[in-house]
Amino acid sequence: MRFHAIVIGAGVDALVAAHLLARRGRQVLVVEERAPASRDFGWVPSQVVGELGLALAVDAPDPWATALSQDGGKLELWRDVRRTSDSIRRFSERDAQRWPDFCRRMAALARLFEQLYLETPADPLNLRFALRVRGLGREGMVDLMRLLPMPVAELLDDWFECDALKGALGAMGILNIRQGPRSSGTAFRFLHHHVGSPEGVFRPPRTDLGSRLRQRPGVEVRTSKVEKILVKSGRAHGVVLDRGETLEAATVISGIDPRRTLLELADPAWLDPELARAVGNIRRRGVAARICFDTSMKSTVYAPSLDYLERAYDGVKYGRVSERPYLEAHPTPQGTEVHFQYVPYEANGDLAATARRLLPGLENAQVASILGPADLEREEGWPEGQPYHAELALDQALWMRPLPELAQYRTPIQGLWLCGPATHPGGGVAGAAGYNCAQAILKEKN
Amino acid sequence: MKKYDAAIVGGGHNGLVCAAYLARAGKRVVVLERRDRVGGAAMSEEVFPGFRFSVFSYVVSLLRPEIIRELELPRHGLHILPLESTLTPLREGAKAGDYLAQWNDHDQNRRELARHSPRDAEAYDEFGLELHQMARLIKPILAIAPPDPTSLHPRELVDLARLARMFRNIEKKKFNALWRLLTMSSAEYLDAWFEGETLKATKSASGIIGTMLGPRSPGTAYVLLHHYMGELDGVFRAWGFAKGGNGSVSAAIAAAARSFGAEIRTSAPVQEILVESGRAKAVVLEGGEEIRAGIVVSGADPRRTFLGLVGEKHLPGEFVESIRRFRFRGSSAKVNLALGELPDFTCLPGRGPHLRGAISISPSIAYLERAYDDAKYGEISRRPYMDIVIPSMLDPAMAPPGKHVMSIFVQYAPYHVNGGWTDARREALGDAVVDTLAGYAPNIKSAILHRQVVTPADIERVVGLSEGNIFQGELSLQQMFFLRPAPAWARYRTPVDGLWQCGAGTHPGGGVMGASGRNAALAILGGHA
Repeated sequence: MRFHAIVIGAGVDALVAAHLLARRGRQVLVVEERAPASRDFGWVPSQVVGELGLALAVDAPDPWATALSQDGGKLELWRDVRRTSDSIRRFSERDAQRWPDFCRRMAALARLFEQLYLETPADPLNLRFALRVRGLGREGMVDLMRLLPMPVAELLDDWFECDALKGALGAMGILNIRQGPRSSGTAFRFLHHHVGSPEGVFRPPRTDLGSRLRQRPGVEVRTSKVEKILVKSGRAHGVVLDRGETLEAATVISGIDPRRTLLELADPAWLDPELARAVGNIRRRGVAARICFDTSMKSTVYAPSLDYLERAYDGVKYGRVSERPYLEAHPTPQGTEVHFQYVPYEANGDLAATARRLLPGLENAQVASILGPADLEREEGWPEGQPYHAELALDQALWMRPLPELAQYRTPIQGLWLCGPATHPGGGVAGAAGYNCAQAILKEKN
Repeated sequence: MKKYDAAIVGGGHNGLVCAAYLARAGKRVVVLERRDRVGGAAMSEEVFPGFRFSVFSYVVSLLRPEIIRELELPRHGLHILPLESTLTPLREGAKAGDYLAQWNDHDQNRRELARHSPRDAEAYDEFGLELHQMARLIKPILAIAPPDPTSLHPRELVDLARLARMFRNIEKKKFNALWRLLTMSSAEYLDAWFEGETLKATKSASGIIGTMLGPRSPGTAYVLLHHYMGELDGVFRAWGFAKGGNGSVSAAIAAAARSFGAEIRTSAPVQEILVESGRAKAVVLEGGEEIRAGIVVSGADPRRTFLGLVGEKHLPGEFVESIRRFRFRGSSAKVNLALGELPDFTCLPGRGPHLRGAISISPSIAYLERAYDDAKYGEISRRPYMDIVIPSMLDPAMAPPGKHVMSIFVQYAPYHVNGGWTDARREALGDAVVDTLAGYAPNIKSAILHRQVVTPADIERVVGLSEGNIFQGELSLQQMFFLRPAPAWARYRTPVDGLWQCGAGTHPGGGVMGASGRNAALAILGGHA
């Protein structure tokens, strides 16, 4: 059977791209190795929802997080800015007063990125881009220029004094990256994880986007493993599955990571050697384990201070699990899922005991599963356990994501496209890369 | 009362450069230096009888060649002696007792690198080419006054357009490579080039100098490039050492300034910059003497200038806020040793050409990162990174016959050390340095005749650099270019009319470049910098 397009991998971006192409009358086949069970992490842009006519179930916990302080205190962070100010007031009057202004200024920057994220990455020297940045006004421009390269610790130290607040916010700067809050570029990551959220909410939502799309008619989904991408005279023309079956298609779209796509599934000989080397150097280290408990608890973050987070990071530089990790728990239908950061690729030691010790409410909970980066690579298809497929650092973001040569969703192999979280705008935003990739494909075809 | 066109606060090298350019243009200029000698952090002193040291800054390479040329510094006594090599001795791990040497001589260097890794020897030239290209892209930017991208003023827009054109003319590939350098850590950047741990560590070390960052911290790749800038113009190859110590750099600039008619007053501590109805009118010395001048140019760092000498009440609140959050966090110390004999390195015994170069204690990235880990939480590095030179090997006049001076640049010694800097802690730092060095050159302890330890607190106290930061403010991306030292005030002007800034706290920053002083002078003279 011949398809117009074959989409490899079934992350949300792959599914979004598949359905957008199907809506334009293309015959699309999705080949996925496994169907992930968990809910999808990240803001789903309204364009994606609108274009596909989706009615999503979006988790909007209120408070969006309860931050634990070192001495066992609780700081509740609500969706309502005023109400959060009241919570903060018990820790610091000054921070309570600054909270609304902080929320407003971060939201202003987030709005800019919401636009940038729904386009192929802008050339930073492009005049239109420059004008758009100027549209932020003086305050916003200065905020943006200062914030982009900054360590999130400096940004938050400039604003606040309450450790639990800074820890809970700073965690979004280091989520899923092998850096500490004092590393440059983490303020950008903090902002990245705010994009799409309402003013004053600093946690990306979870949705059922993936399962909705998987149930949706119009695209054939097959569970199988792609062994090879077929290329002839510089053009992709299909894939070979692990059972040896060959499927032909003029367009092949990969939602899996670029290193595997270009260096393993396709023959790397099609790449310029310099580009092949650069693809091999894409950083994608996983840093977190996922622990599932059978007992339910509400959204809780254990990141009692920025120094705490920085110390948590120290061990992993030398290959050790954090003795005192950054933890983030959120409820699931089956119980509680805990994000445990930092761990090396082969996570060892009793992670569950550490989580139980630090998170009140899990003392007697039973462990359903513990997956370290190596397990997540196997179970979820995250390369080296990195859910964003390529670390979201400034040198691998925006028009550099995952490499400047691949940032327009195209590859040097004609007809082979990338659409996974390793492309702009990256993980933490669900479906935008798939959306942008589909637009680029349709534009080229028309 | 004599009236000057310009009074310059501080006789550091940037103040002197600025004075020289203004005087050369016919302005009546006075430089007011607090200490009894000029030079700021670029000065030589006979600390122990017969032993002369560049007490603070100790090598040159970044001093802008146009300054050397335009001010004719060689004629005024500047003489640079090149450092020929960098030796990294090894003591632990698989290569214990071995070393890595990098030589200025291309073939010798290649052979040595190939001894460790043929692949690295191959990659080295390509790496050098990329850094060279990047340095060439950055070079014109060093010499401009950064426009304010938020401004709508026609002049700023014209300059912005010019800057944009400059960048747009850069090949896209190079622009992206530059962006990577700006945002990556030196360790990650070097990982993509080399496999040899010691080579990567020694290269990455220039990315952490003067910063409160480790080699794995993003942003350090740029500092690496910043330190590479000197190798550019063929004026002097690689790092060099000024005959007579770094004080002779300042002395040469001062002599040039005087030859153009500038007046330089030492032991003239400025207490206040007098502002009347929003305009800088004069400087007031400790003791009350008032020196009136058409403009005042401050070579002191932004915190001292604005929060100290000018005073918050004369400044807009937003600007004060920016200066308050401008980060300094000094992390570097110096240990100066008077030696009865040369150090004898276990890995390369005896007196050899390696002693005429730099010696870098940077065996691995993890070693440097651990040194940083200590400092992150306010401790002195137990095993510090050290950059060592023996100036008396190149300039025998620095020490009595047969004896030597050794200059050790040390990181990390955080300004905000737990418990604050005390005499005991200063000595503890000295001991950590000597103990570490003794692990590589066991005779060092018995060779030491005198020891001087200079902490960031000492640098602040003696030279006046806030928090002992050797760059007058951290060289992080959010404190560079049009944000240095504050948004909208990066063009050497200040919110106070008639008050200008010319220190390393302005674009392009520190490292004995002199570029800030020159750019400021050109901006003052209305020339298009």
